[in-house]
Amino acid sequence: MSGVLTLRDWLTADITTSPRQASLQRLYFGWLRLRANPLALLGLGIIAVLIITAVAAPWIAPGGFDDQNLNTRLLPPSAAHWFGTDDLGRDMFARLVYGSRTTLTIACLVAVIAAPLGLLVGTTAGYFGGWVDAVLMRVNDIFLSFPGLILALGFVAALGPGIRNAIIAVALTAWPPIARLARAETLTIRKADYIAAVRIQGASPLRIIARHIVPMCLPSVIVRITLNMAGIILTAAGLGFLGLGAQPPAPEWGAMLSTGRSHLTGAWWLATVPGVAILFTSLAFNLVGDELRDVLDPRAD
Amino acid sequence: MIAETRASLIAAMLLLASPIAAQAATPRDALVMAWNLDALITFDPAQIGEVNGNDIVYNVCDSLVGFDPKDVSRIVPKAAQSWSTSADGLTLTFKLRPDLMFPNGRKATAEDAAWSMQRFVLLGFGNSANLTQWGFTKEGIAEQIKATDESTVTITLAKPYPEGLILSAAFANNDASMILDKQVGEKNAKIVDGKSDYGNAFFKTSPVCVGPYRITKWDSNDVVILERNDNYWGAKPKSRRVIIRHVPESGAERLLLEQGDVDVARLLKTEDLLALESNKDVRIEQTVMHGFQYLAFNGTDPVLANPKVREAFRYLIDYDGLGRTVLQFQGVPRASLVPEGAFGALDKKEGQPFLLDLVRAKALITEAGYPDGFSKKMILSANALSPTIAQHIASNAAKIGIKIELEQMADAQLFTRGRAREFQIQLVGWGAGYPDADSMISRHAVNPDNRPEAKLAQYPSWRVGWQSLEINQKAEAARMERDPVTRSAMYHDIQDFMLHNGPMAYIYQTVRPIAVRSAVKDFVISPFAVDYGSASK
Amino acid sequence: MLTVWAKQLGSIVVTLMGLLALTFFMGRMLPVDPVVSIIGEQADQATYDMVYHQLGRDQPLIKQFLLFVRDMMTGDFGNALFTGHRVADDLMRVFPATIELATFAICIGVGVGVPLGMLAAIYRGTAIDHAARVVGLLGYSSPTFWLGLMGLIIFYAALGLVGGPGRLDVSFIDMVEPHTGLLLVDSLWDGEYEVFWNAFRHIVLPGSVLGFGSAAYISRMTRSFMLEQLRQEYIVAARAKGLSKWRVIWRHAFANIAVQLITVIALAYAFLLEGAVLTETVFAWPGLGRYLTAGLLAGDMNAVLACVLIVGVIFIGLNLLADVLYRVMDPRTR
Repeated sequence: MSGVLTLRDWLTADITTSPRQASLQRLYFGWLRLRANPLALLGLGIIAVLIITAVAAPWIAPGGFDDQNLNTRLLPPSAAHWFGTDDLGRDMFARLVYGSRTTLTIACLVAVIAAPLGLLVGTTAGYFGGWVDAVLMRVNDIFLSFPGLILALGFVAALGPGIRNAIIAVALTAWPPIARLARAETLTIRKADYIAAVRIQGASPLRIIARHIVPMCLPSVIVRITLNMAGIILTAAGLGFLGLGAQPPAPEWGAMLSTGRSHLTGAWWLATVPGVAILFTSLAFNLVGDELRDVLDPRAD
Repeated sequence: MIAETRASLIAAMLLLASPIAAQAATPRDALVMAWNLDALITFDPAQIGEVNGNDIVYNVCDSLVGFDPKDVSRIVPKAAQSWSTSADGLTLTFKLRPDLMFPNGRKATAEDAAWSMQRFVLLGFGNSANLTQWGFTKEGIAEQIKATDESTVTITLAKPYPEGLILSAAFANNDASMILDKQVGEKNAKIVDGKSDYGNAFFKTSPVCVGPYRITKWDSNDVVILERNDNYWGAKPKSRRVIIRHVPESGAERLLLEQGDVDVARLLKTEDLLALESNKDVRIEQTVMHGFQYLAFNGTDPVLANPKVREAFRYLIDYDGLGRTVLQFQGVPRASLVPEGAFGALDKKEGQPFLLDLVRAKALITEAGYPDGFSKKMILSANALSPTIAQHIASNAAKIGIKIELEQMADAQLFTRGRAREFQIQLVGWGAGYPDADSMISRHAVNPDNRPEAKLAQYPSWRVGWQSLEINQKAEAARMERDPVTRSAMYHDIQDFMLHNGPMAYIYQTVRPIAVRSAVKDFVISPFAVDYGSASK
Repeated sequence: MLTVWAKQLGSIVVTLMGLLALTFFMGRMLPVDPVVSIIGEQADQATYDMVYHQLGRDQPLIKQFLLFVRDMMTGDFGNALFTGHRVADDLMRVFPATIELATFAICIGVGVGVPLGMLAAIYRGTAIDHAARVVGLLGYSSPTFWLGLMGLIIFYAALGLVGGPGRLDVSFIDMVEPHTGLLLVDSLWDGEYEVFWNAFRHIVLPGSVLGFGSAAYISRMTRSFMLEQLRQEYIVAARAKGLSKWRVIWRHAFANIAVQLITVIALAYAFLLEGAVLTETVFAWPGLGRYLTAGLLAGDMNAVLACVLIVGVIFIGLNLLADVLYRVMDPRTR
């Protein structure tokens, strides 16, 4: 016995034994490179802080996010209220902390809905080609050529405002670019020998797509969705800004910013705090996504 | 400490702006206003149903009589120099001024006046209720409103209404008696669905009226420009042009005003008004309007149908606290449905007897049979103060176990939901058409037919599914009472009842803050009209 | 070749029809009733029914849609219920406003983005690369509405360097003939240099805020294209032949990415046209984005459909243009 095969060994093995191992290896080497880039690490750090904040919100801000007091409204930042108070006397820090939950929930759920949907449509269109491709890509074109925020706005207005519908609406605007990408990747893979081999073995198209094509597309889809995360956060904030995102009193950064709009000079912290929070969050996702792309983009090697 | 430094830095930067402000100035002969013109869709007096249109068209079209700007419960002559009521109270006669002239130079006659009022009813827009609720009908209008000679308009009333009430409600308010050019209207009339539109499509963008100004440009959601009508009979408007710019952001309007790029700002929020208060170049004119923001409780909901539950909500509103803070410059707390300043209104103290009292509210819902509270949804506008006020009430309600889920929406949607009875609680506004208790009571307390299929969506009382036959009778009796003292007392009685038992919880009477640069003088502003021509620079 | 074009055209028509159908039925799902915005909130049911009928809302949905498409084919977009004007007239005003803003923004985007991306690629991995990347990413990550508000406070209110909200100061309104609707062009046309200067002061801030975002996108793409070129053998060979570094970059590398760049810029421009909604709101810019939003929230589908159609046509058109350019000019696909 030459010792136990560690995960690291498996991940760095020169010869891979399965496509899954191959793609996981790519991710692993990517991580090694990512680790060496300070900007990307900064982005990862911000995201980590955000996640911790969201999870630990009740401990960080024990007062909750809706503790109103008309006598302490619009107070500037101080030791008692780090980020000041809003127009109903609520602590902005607490609202910011709880707001991270809303933002992360929206961003994650949109990713979880849009990525598989885009992947499904893209790989199906790419694999089958012909009229399936034509139909799916026309639908894709329709959604692509629709102004994103307007599409989201329309659907939220139709379905009713609120966080759940905002997620659906933003996801509707987020899937088409992913589908396009997945289709392009599929087109390059589907002619590959090993796919032909699997097909001869009698695998069903469904199985081929699920087991062999989707895993190959996954890395670039992950990069793409990370890069799009910033756009998703900004669209969601835009909806909140227009009053159609998470409903009050739930703290949502875009909506907080919209409230701050009417207090710009008198209470600058009202707009600045959530504005900076949105900026940093989307910046963090961009930093990570940008690096991930360099790392995982085969052309860059 | 850091915060203070930061704040003073911004303040310093703003101070720096003053020398620049001195350079910028609006043209001397033009009055420039910044306003949110989103709602503007028509200038045809027969069709106008919103604030922008009313405000502007008041300066373009004279009505027969008007409200005294200093005391709106008084009626003063305008295009009509005098009027009289017959002894039986059924005939009202207006004598027009001899010097009425349209901007195109044509003399305006009683024929034009009668035609304008007839089309007001015949077109049947929402506005037409201002006449139809007094018994004028599409079928009878040709006989009911007639030009009997070149300068006389004779009105035949369906019932002998008190003169003050009918003048105020039907002729002084809401564009009903504005005089349009009949010749232009008939020449430009289009046939829609086999019926004439009486020039509606034409007048929509360019009404031809007897009035101090005429509209020369209207780019929707951008700008409206008025030019002085040199043929006007009355006092010559002091500014040759009035330019109204669409600026839908309060902060932006304030900046424009501070920089001297506009003379008047009409959509300012509390924060910006507070900042302007200390600015010597600007003054703030506050007008208490005859309109309300209120909570409507849908009576077809079993919980909200309980009067005790509805009364409990009145104790969940911190009238004092809101008045001191959020409502500064924007509203005056008031719980009675008749606005202060209207004929027959309860005085300030009687009209607002409630205080934030969670214990009392809790006791009321316990009495109603909901000791553990309940959950309800509230719909509200995403604009202005609504989100703040709604969150305030929801937070107080939560303290006694009532869970209120908020849903914001665009105004158009809010109105649609309200008219269809599709809500549990609605936070919404309403403007009284004329300064008489009858205006609010006849719509908010009276409900002629509460059946869903009656679809009386113009009655907020119907929208909430609330009806009291007794109140219906009392209101009708008050409407017909010709002795003013008795009539006023009858309205007090109705208000006392509605204050505790009515289907709405009124929160505040709206205030219209208008910020004006000090250089603008003699600007006459009243709840029902802003007189552009009065302002001089 | 001909069949390829026919196919292309067919798919465009299908896409546009799909776009209209999607918009139309989304509009009908809206719980907003345009009738109420016409008749006023206090109107009675009889008035409601009358206008409901006039608008044809009592017809079956499919028929309403087909009627709309038929009218549209003849160039009649109908009336905008929420502005009281004909949609076509409204568009004549709002569309140039947006074009002007987006064009200004794309100039900024290209002017800043391309050099930034080139530098980042050439000095890959150095401080310049990181700095360029952070600046670019900041532009990509900023909520434009927030950036706009902050810009107004600092550059307009405090420093007085730029014009305020709107396209012109009031004293300049109506001073030039609307030849093109683009104020910068019209004012030069009429020789009104003061108006030009005023319009310029007004467009600078919203244009920059909007352009910042596309500068980020363009610089990222430039960097990536450039890196690819710099790795190519011919570049290495040219350098080995002793040609100067900048000469190689300019004559060879840049020339080769020009086509790709045009594609990217065309796409960025399309996104700007549709992405100006929030910027227009903040700056009270009377453009297409704000018109579209207001129309949507008022449930006015005539206006919304016309706008969506225009944006869709432009989007598809620019995509097509990029596609064609790519095919015609790229040496590898030729």
